[in-house]
Amino acid sequence: MNNIQQQTDEHLVRDFKSGSTRAMEKIVERYENPIFAFGLKMCGQPHDAEDITQETFLSAFRYLDGFRGEAKLKNWLFKIAARACIKKRRKKKCEPDRELSLESFMHDGESPGRYDIPDWSEDPADNVLRAELKHIIDKAVTSLPPKYRMVFTLRDIEGFSTGETAEILHLTPQTVKTRLHRARLFLREEIANAYAEKKIQ
Amino acid sequence: MRRECKAHFKKISEYLDGELDPGTMEEIESHLSECPECRDCIDSLRKTIRLCKQASPEGMPDAMKRQLHETLRQCLEGHPSR
Repeated sequence: MNNIQQQTDEHLVRDFKSGSTRAMEKIVERYENPIFAFGLKMCGQPHDAEDITQETFLSAFRYLDGFRGEAKLKNWLFKIAARACIKKRRKKKCEPDRELSLESFMHDGESPGRYDIPDWSEDPADNVLRAELKHIIDKAVTSLPPKYRMVFTLRDIEGFSTGETAEILHLTPQTVKTRLHRARLFLREEIANAYAEKKIQ
Repeated sequence: MRRECKAHFKKISEYLDGELDPGTMEEIESHLSECPECRDCIDSLRKTIRLCKQASPEGMPDAMKRQLHETLRQCLEGHPSR
Protein backbone atom coordinates (compact mmCIF):
# COMPACT_ATOMS: atom_id res chain seq x y z
CA MET A 1 0.00 0.00 0.00
CA ASN A 2 1.55 3.34 -0.99
CA ASN A 3 0.35 5.47 1.93
CA ILE A 4 -0.40 3.44 5.00
CA GLN A 5 -0.62 6.61 7.15
CA GLN A 6 -3.76 7.68 5.31
CA GLN A 7 -5.49 4.32 5.43
CA THR A 8 -8.80 4.01 7.22
CA ASP A 9 -9.23 1.48 10.01
CA GLU A 10 -11.36 -0.63 7.67
CA HIS A 11 -8.49 -0.84 5.17
CA LEU A 12 -6.01 -1.71 7.89
CA VAL A 13 -8.25 -4.49 9.20
CA ARG A 14 -8.66 -5.86 5.69
CA ASP A 15 -4.89 -5.76 5.09
CA PHE A 16 -4.23 -7.39 8.46
CA LYS A 17 -6.57 -10.22 7.54
CA SER A 18 -4.64 -10.65 4.28
CA GLY A 19 -1.45 -11.14 6.28
CA SER A 20 0.06 -7.63 6.42
CA THR A 21 2.28 -7.20 9.47
CA ARG A 22 2.62 -3.49 8.61
CA ALA A 23 -1.15 -3.09 8.97
CA MET A 24 -0.93 -4.61 12.45
CA GLU A 25 1.86 -2.19 13.37
CA LYS A 26 -0.16 0.72 12.06
CA ILE A 27 -3.21 -0.26 14.15
CA VAL A 28 -0.98 -0.42 17.24
CA GLU A 29 0.62 2.97 16.48
CA ARG A 30 -2.81 4.51 16.01
CA TYR A 31 -4.33 3.28 19.26
CA GLU A 32 -1.53 2.50 21.74
CA ASN A 33 -1.56 5.99 23.30
CA PRO A 34 -5.32 6.26 23.94
CA ILE A 35 -5.53 2.68 25.22
CA PHE A 36 -2.53 3.26 27.50
CA ALA A 37 -4.03 6.55 28.80
CA PHE A 38 -7.33 4.78 29.46
CA GLY A 39 -5.55 1.98 31.35
CA LEU A 40 -3.61 4.54 33.36
CA LYS A 41 -6.76 6.42 34.33
CA MET A 42 -8.50 3.22 35.35
CA CYS A 43 -5.64 1.47 37.18
CA GLY A 44 -3.37 4.34 38.18
CA GLN A 45 -0.01 2.62 37.58
CA PRO A 46 2.00 2.79 34.34
CA HIS A 47 2.93 -0.91 34.49
CA ASP A 48 -0.76 -1.85 34.85
CA ALA A 49 -1.61 0.38 31.89
CA GLU A 50 1.19 -1.33 29.95
CA ASP A 51 -0.29 -4.77 30.74
CA ILE A 52 -3.74 -3.59 29.69
CA THR A 53 -2.43 -2.19 26.41
CA GLN A 54 -0.57 -5.40 25.62
CA GLU A 55 -3.51 -7.60 26.57
CA THR A 56 -5.87 -5.47 24.47
CA PHE A 57 -3.80 -5.77 21.29
CA LEU A 58 -2.96 -9.45 21.80
CA SER A 59 -6.62 -10.23 22.26
CA ALA A 60 -7.61 -8.00 19.33
CA PHE A 61 -5.18 -9.63 16.90
CA ARG A 62 -6.18 -13.08 18.07
CA TYR A 63 -9.81 -12.37 17.19
CA LEU A 64 -9.47 -9.80 14.42
CA ASP A 65 -10.00 -12.41 11.72
CA GLY A 66 -13.55 -12.78 13.01
CA PHE A 67 -14.11 -9.02 13.30
CA ARG A 68 -16.77 -8.15 10.76
CA GLY A 69 -16.77 -4.43 11.32
CA GLU A 70 -20.26 -4.02 12.79
CA ALA A 71 -18.60 -1.73 15.35
CA LYS A 72 -15.80 0.72 14.66
CA LEU A 73 -12.34 -0.69 15.33
CA LYS A 74 -11.70 1.95 18.03
CA ASN A 75 -14.92 1.00 19.87
CA TRP A 76 -14.07 -2.68 19.65
CA LEU A 77 -10.56 -2.08 21.03
CA PHE A 78 -11.93 -0.04 23.94
CA LYS A 79 -14.44 -2.76 24.70
CA ILE A 80 -11.55 -5.21 25.05
CA ALA A 81 -9.54 -2.66 27.07
CA ALA A 82 -12.46 -1.97 29.43
CA ARG A 83 -12.78 -5.70 30.09
CA ALA A 84 -9.02 -5.93 30.71
CA CYS A 85 -9.22 -3.02 33.20
CA ILE A 86 -12.07 -4.62 35.13
CA LYS A 87 -10.17 -7.94 35.24
CA LYS A 88 -6.97 -6.24 36.37
CA ARG A 89 -8.72 -4.26 39.10
CA ARG A 90 -10.48 -7.38 40.34
CA LYS A 91 -7.22 -9.34 40.39
CA LYS A 92 -5.44 -6.60 42.30
CA LYS A 93 -8.34 -6.32 44.74
CA CYS A 94 -8.54 -2.57 44.17
CA GLU A 95 -10.90 -0.45 46.23
CA PRO A 96 -14.57 -1.39 45.76
CA ASP A 97 -16.97 0.82 43.84
CA ARG A 98 -19.19 3.19 45.75
CA GLU A 99 -22.28 5.16 44.82
CA LEU A 100 -22.32 8.91 44.34
CA SER A 101 -25.71 10.39 45.10
CA LEU A 102 -27.01 13.41 43.25
CA GLU A 103 -28.23 14.89 46.52
CA SER A 104 -24.69 15.01 47.87
CA PHE A 105 -23.93 17.65 45.24
CA MET A 106 -26.98 19.78 46.06
CA HIS A 107 -25.94 22.11 48.82
CA ASP A 108 -28.93 23.45 50.68
CA GLY A 109 -28.73 27.12 51.50
CA GLU A 110 -25.87 27.69 49.07
CA SER A 111 -25.96 28.91 45.53
CA PRO A 112 -25.26 26.27 42.87
CA GLY A 113 -22.58 28.28 41.06
CA ARG A 114 -19.84 28.86 43.62
CA TYR A 115 -17.07 26.88 41.92
CA ASP A 116 -13.85 28.51 40.88
CA ILE A 117 -12.41 26.33 38.12
CA PRO A 118 -9.05 27.46 36.73
CA ASP A 119 -8.15 27.71 33.04
CA TRP A 120 -5.59 25.47 31.41
CA SER A 121 -2.67 27.45 30.01
CA GLU A 122 -0.52 26.26 27.10
CA ASP A 123 1.98 29.07 27.72
CA PRO A 124 5.47 27.55 28.30
CA ALA A 125 6.00 30.17 31.04
CA ASP A 126 3.23 28.46 33.05
CA ASN A 127 4.97 25.08 33.27
CA VAL A 128 4.98 24.94 37.06
CA LEU A 129 1.37 26.05 37.40
CA ARG A 130 0.34 23.57 34.75
CA ALA A 131 2.12 20.72 36.55
CA GLU A 132 0.37 21.66 39.81
CA LEU A 133 -2.97 21.81 38.08
CA LYS A 134 -2.37 18.49 36.35
CA HIS A 135 -1.61 16.95 39.74
CA ILE A 136 -4.91 18.30 41.12
CA ILE A 137 -6.86 16.96 38.13
CA ASP A 138 -5.20 13.54 38.16
CA LYS A 139 -5.86 13.20 41.88
CA ALA A 140 -9.51 14.15 41.39
CA VAL A 141 -9.94 11.65 38.55
CA THR A 142 -8.24 8.88 40.53
CA SER A 143 -10.52 9.45 43.51
CA LEU A 144 -13.60 9.11 41.32
CA PRO A 145 -15.18 5.68 41.99
CA PRO A 146 -14.18 3.33 39.13
CA LYS A 147 -17.58 2.83 37.51
CA TYR A 148 -18.00 6.60 37.21
CA ARG A 149 -14.39 7.07 36.12
CA MET A 150 -14.81 4.58 33.31
CA VAL A 151 -17.86 6.34 31.89
CA PHE A 152 -16.28 9.78 32.32
CA THR A 153 -13.06 8.70 30.56
CA LEU A 154 -14.87 7.17 27.61
CA ARG A 155 -17.33 10.05 27.21
CA ASP A 156 -15.39 13.20 28.08
CA ILE A 157 -11.79 12.20 27.41
CA GLU A 158 -12.11 9.76 24.52
CA GLY A 159 -15.16 11.45 23.04
CA PHE A 160 -17.40 8.40 22.61
CA SER A 161 -21.10 9.18 22.37
CA THR A 162 -23.58 8.08 25.03
CA GLY A 163 -24.74 5.23 22.78
CA GLU A 164 -21.21 4.06 22.01
CA THR A 165 -20.21 4.17 25.69
CA ALA A 166 -23.32 2.18 26.60
CA GLU A 167 -22.41 -0.40 23.98
CA ILE A 168 -18.76 -0.62 25.08
CA LEU A 169 -19.66 -1.08 28.76
CA HIS A 170 -22.89 -3.07 28.29
CA LEU A 171 -24.92 -0.40 30.09
CA THR A 172 -28.14 1.37 29.22
CA PRO A 173 -27.77 4.88 27.76
CA GLN A 174 -29.61 6.23 30.82
CA THR A 175 -27.07 4.66 33.19
CA VAL A 176 -24.26 6.22 31.16
CA LYS A 177 -25.93 9.65 31.43
CA THR A 178 -26.51 9.29 35.17
CA ARG A 179 -22.94 8.19 35.88
CA LEU A 180 -21.44 10.85 33.65
CA HIS A 181 -23.39 13.64 35.33
CA ARG A 182 -22.34 12.54 38.81
CA ALA A 183 -18.74 12.07 37.69
CA ARG A 184 -18.62 15.62 36.34
CA LEU A 185 -20.18 17.05 39.51
CA PHE A 186 -17.71 15.11 41.64
CA LEU A 187 -14.72 16.30 39.60
CA ARG A 188 -15.88 19.90 39.71
CA GLU A 189 -16.05 19.78 43.50
CA GLU A 190 -12.74 18.03 43.94
CA ILE A 191 -10.89 20.32 41.54
CA ALA A 192 -12.46 23.52 42.90
CA ASN A 193 -11.71 22.54 46.50
CA ALA A 194 -8.12 21.51 45.79
CA TYR A 195 -7.54 24.64 43.72
CA ALA A 196 -8.93 26.87 46.50
CA GLU A 197 -6.64 25.18 49.04
CA LYS A 198 -3.65 25.65 46.76
CA LYS A 199 -4.45 29.33 46.35
CA ILE A 200 -4.63 29.82 50.11
CA GLN A 201 -1.21 28.20 50.49
CA MET B 1 -30.18 25.68 46.20
CA ARG B 2 -33.66 26.84 45.23
CA ARG B 3 -36.36 24.34 44.37
CA GLU B 4 -36.59 25.36 40.70
CA CYS B 5 -32.79 25.18 40.39
CA LYS B 6 -32.82 21.68 41.89
CA ALA B 7 -35.31 20.55 39.28
CA HIS B 8 -32.90 21.47 36.49
CA PHE B 9 -29.75 20.41 38.32
CA LYS B 10 -30.10 16.74 37.44
CA LYS B 11 -30.39 17.54 33.73
CA ILE B 12 -27.52 19.96 33.24
CA SER B 13 -25.10 17.40 31.78
CA GLU B 14 -27.69 16.32 29.25
CA TYR B 15 -28.30 19.99 28.54
CA LEU B 16 -24.57 20.56 27.93
CA ASP B 17 -24.44 17.51 25.66
CA GLY B 18 -27.54 18.56 23.73
CA GLU B 19 -29.29 15.31 24.64
CA LEU B 20 -32.60 16.70 25.88
CA ASP B 21 -35.75 17.06 23.87
CA PRO B 22 -36.35 20.54 22.42
CA GLY B 23 -39.06 21.37 24.98
CA THR B 24 -36.82 20.64 27.97
CA MET B 25 -33.88 22.47 26.36
CA GLU B 26 -36.07 25.54 25.98
CA GLU B 27 -37.34 25.25 29.54
CA ILE B 28 -33.77 25.18 30.89
CA GLU B 29 -32.68 28.05 28.66
CA SER B 30 -35.57 30.11 29.90
CA HIS B 31 -34.57 29.34 33.52
CA LEU B 32 -30.93 30.19 32.76
CA SER B 33 -31.87 33.57 31.32
CA GLU B 34 -33.30 34.48 34.72
CA CYS B 35 -30.93 32.65 37.06
CA PRO B 36 -27.29 33.83 37.16
CA GLU B 37 -26.46 31.19 39.77
CA CYS B 38 -27.47 28.34 37.46
CA ARG B 39 -25.60 30.01 34.60
CA ASP B 40 -22.45 30.02 36.75
CA CYS B 41 -23.12 26.43 37.73
CA ILE B 42 -23.30 25.35 34.09
CA ASP B 43 -20.24 27.39 33.15
CA SER B 44 -18.13 25.83 35.89
CA LEU B 45 -19.23 22.35 34.83
CA ARG B 46 -18.35 23.14 31.22
CA LYS B 47 -14.94 24.43 32.35
CA THR B 48 -14.36 21.27 34.41
CA ILE B 49 -14.96 19.04 31.38
CA ARG B 50 -12.70 21.16 29.18
CA LEU B 51 -9.96 21.29 31.81
CA CYS B 52 -9.93 17.52 32.34
CA LYS B 53 -9.71 16.96 28.60
CA GLN B 54 -6.91 19.49 28.14
CA ALA B 55 -4.89 17.98 30.99
CA SER B 56 -5.39 14.48 29.73
CA PRO B 57 -3.08 13.45 26.89
CA GLU B 58 -0.78 10.79 28.25
CA GLY B 59 1.36 8.97 25.75
CA MET B 60 2.84 5.57 26.34
CA PRO B 61 6.55 5.87 27.19
CA ASP B 62 8.84 4.95 24.26
CA ALA B 63 10.51 2.06 26.10
CA MET B 64 7.09 0.49 26.77
CA LYS B 65 6.13 0.99 23.12
CA ARG B 66 9.25 -0.80 21.93
CA GLN B 67 8.54 -3.69 24.30
CA LEU B 68 4.89 -3.84 23.20
CA HIS B 69 5.80 -3.91 19.50
CA GLU B 70 8.36 -6.64 20.11
CA THR B 71 5.92 -8.80 22.10
CA LEU B 72 3.20 -8.43 19.47
CA ARG B 73 5.62 -9.23 16.65
CA GLN B 74 6.75 -12.42 18.41
CA CYS B 75 3.19 -13.51 19.12
CA LEU B 76 2.07 -12.87 15.56
CA GLU B 77 4.92 -14.85 14.06
CA GLY B 78 3.08 -17.92 15.28
CA HIS B 79 -0.20 -16.69 13.77
CA PRO B 80 -1.31 -19.08 11.00
CA SER B 81 -2.27 -16.31 8.53
CA ARG B 82 1.02 -14.41 8.79
